[in-house]
Amino acid sequence: MTTAYAATETPIVKLVNVDKDYELGTVIVPALRDVSLSIAAGEFTVIAGPSGSGKTTLLNLIGCVDIATRGSVIIDGSDTKVLKDKQLTELRLRSLGFIFQSFNLVGVLDAFDNVEFPLLLQGKLSKADRRERVMVLLRQLGIEQYSHHRPGELSGGQRQRVAIARALVTEPRIVLADEPTANLDSKTGNSILDSMQELNARGTTFLFSTHDPRVVSRAGRVIRLVDGEIADHNATAEDVAQLAAAAHAA
Amino acid sequence: MNTIIQIAFRNLLQHRRRSLLLGGAIAMVTLLLVMLSALLNGMQATMLRNGTTLSSGHVNVAGFYKVTAGNAAPLVTKFEPLKELVEKATPDLSYVVTRGRGFGKIVSEESSLNSVLTGIDIQNESGFKEIVQVASGKIADLAEPKTALLFEKQAERLHVKVGDNITVSSQTFRGVNNTVDVKVVAIGRDLGMLSAFNCFVHHNAIRDLYELDPDTTGAIQLYLKNADDAREVAAKLRTVVAATGLRVMEPVEQPFWRKFDAVKREDWTGQKIDITTWLDELAFMRYTLTTLSALIFVLVTVLLVIIVIGVMNTLWMAIRERTREIGALRAIGMQRGRVLWMFIVEVALLALGATVVGSAGATVLCLGINAAKIVVPKAFQMFLMSETLWLIADVPTVARSLAIIAVVTTLGAVLPAWRASRLQPVKAMQTAS
Ligand SMILES: Nc1ncnc2c1ncn2[C@@H]1O[C@H](COP(=O)(O)OP(=O)(O)OP(=O)(O)O)[C@@H](O)[C@H]1O
Ligand SMILES: [Mg+2]
Repeated sequence: MTTAYAATETPIVKLVNVDKDYELGTVIVPALRDVSLSIAAGEFTVIAGPSGSGKTTLLNLIGCVDIATRGSVIIDGSDTKVLKDKQLTELRLRSLGFIFQSFNLVGVLDAFDNVEFPLLLQGKLSKADRRERVMVLLRQLGIEQYSHHRPGELSGGQRQRVAIARALVTEPRIVLADEPTANLDSKTGNSILDSMQELNARGTTFLFSTHDPRVVSRAGRVIRLVDGEIADHNATAEDVAQLAAAAHAA
Repeated sequence: MNTIIQIAFRNLLQHRRRSLLLGGAIAMVTLLLVMLSALLNGMQATMLRNGTTLSSGHVNVAGFYKVTAGNAAPLVTKFEPLKELVEKATPDLSYVVTRGRGFGKIVSEESSLNSVLTGIDIQNESGFKEIVQVASGKIADLAEPKTALLFEKQAERLHVKVGDNITVSSQTFRGVNNTVDVKVVAIGRDLGMLSAFNCFVHHNAIRDLYELDPDTTGAIQLYLKNADDAREVAAKLRTVVAATGLRVMEPVEQPFWRKFDAVKREDWTGQKIDITTWLDELAFMRYTLTTLSALIFVLVTVLLVIIVIGVMNTLWMAIRERTREIGALRAIGMQRGRVLWMFIVEVALLALGATVVGSAGATVLCLGINAAKIVVPKAFQMFLMSETLWLIADVPTVARSLAIIAVVTTLGAVLPAWRASRLQPVKAMQTAS
């Protein structure tokens, strides 16, 4: 599948010469090196790369939950380096939907309440509208009947879908997902990807990290990360598959 | 936000054991504070009621008469016009009594003891008749001349009963020994330290003993509608009395019997008027209560420190367990302030619930104890100034205790909650669960 990302105006995500170092005691671990990249609104992009290549780190920078060591990260027109914590939080709430590698749902709230939570934080919709919004999503994701179950009473796949619903419920401009299909069987994974592509067709920007070739094959664009550096800005699914096979063989 | 309260409440339920333990401790301290405050209230009320009936008015117009400079008698001479004057000048007056003051030895056939002697006109003493419960005899019989009322403990020591005669002996103010015989017409139930050293006799018995004229008395005691006005009224009466030309002493926070030495050392003779309040006359007892309330304060402070440490500890634990959740909430756009609130609300809910349970329990216990009329050991009766435990857990006391403990406990949550709100979303989410 292809998405018309080439013909857009200002990019919704723009990174310029970004480095990210982690400090492990006295040792400095460079997780990203000189990453420059731009993503236009409406793209469906996948970040592929082996474990430890920096996928999560990159998503965290774009998701405004972490700050680059050097370089600039511009999200929806705002340079995240100059924003105060309050404004960064506001930006996350307003423009971003984040699906975490481990779902991190609120343990004492049921599926419905977890999904509704970002809407409550935004405080924009009425109770009825919130309900409507949440239920539509739960239905789409096939977990309507679990709306009153708490995370502890759900399977990994069901929890993942609740997390996805929570990220989508505010209809954010950008949805970030860290290995969204890692905990799903292929049938559920496919149906979730279907819903996401549907949303993408209506304008939402998607940015995934993944190992999963099925996800890669659906991407409009594949960015390949190796050792914290971008190896390829627009790889094909075949490239990725070949490289993965080679890595496997080695 | 409702959901924050919901999350807080459900987390408390989720960790039932932990919540019950901490909540139970908070409830116990609340219960203790309410009960001790109620005890203090009870003692204060008893002191005010019994103390101002037995040994002081709300305001006393008394004084010293000195024949020579070195000789002081607790007397007010020609008291009638003075009484009329102060009665007129006192707003919201309930009633007035005059009492003779003295100190002497009470002698029975078998024994003797020293006691304060108070001369009373029983028909005017409406408060006295309410406070003093007779064990035997009749209070009204004190209207007869040459009669006396003893308290149980005194009667026991003297081996006398109603109908017996006792001899009261003292030195007159001119320095001669004198005695009067009086008949015991009533024996009152003990009222703690107030009744231990006080014997009531017919007013004229005091006059006879000290060879005084009928127009003398020891003190004019004024009872006000509101005892709290005493200081104000006393100040006013000082100016009113001074305006008539009588000499008025400077106010000192002491009972009259502590003033003799100072007065004797002063270089004047004749009459001086001393206007005092129950706060002066009962200063010693107020000191007891102040000490007791200081002890309660220290005890409750220590317990609260322990509770606050418990709260902090529990909250650190909760935050550690929910670090990933906090990280995720921050990541989806929850502001730091909201995270702070979430944890403070959690503790506040627990504190509120626990303090409400604690004070409700204390109130019920207080009512039960009052109804049971529990007789306290003799040693405590001295301080309680009554035979039974009397606890006053009124609304202000309960509300104050509840508020203090709920607020202090909740304040204990601020530091951990603040630290939780400062967690970096990424670091929080990377924490091992
Ligand atoms: N908090 C941290 N402190 C120190 N080093 C870190 C930290 N987080 C990640 N790293 C390191 O940074 C590099 C990139 O990690 P990252 O988690 O972004 O990789 P990834 O591509 O998401 O891997 P995976 O596919 O296993 O999720 C790794 O070498 C990792 O060890
Ligand atoms: Mg990762």
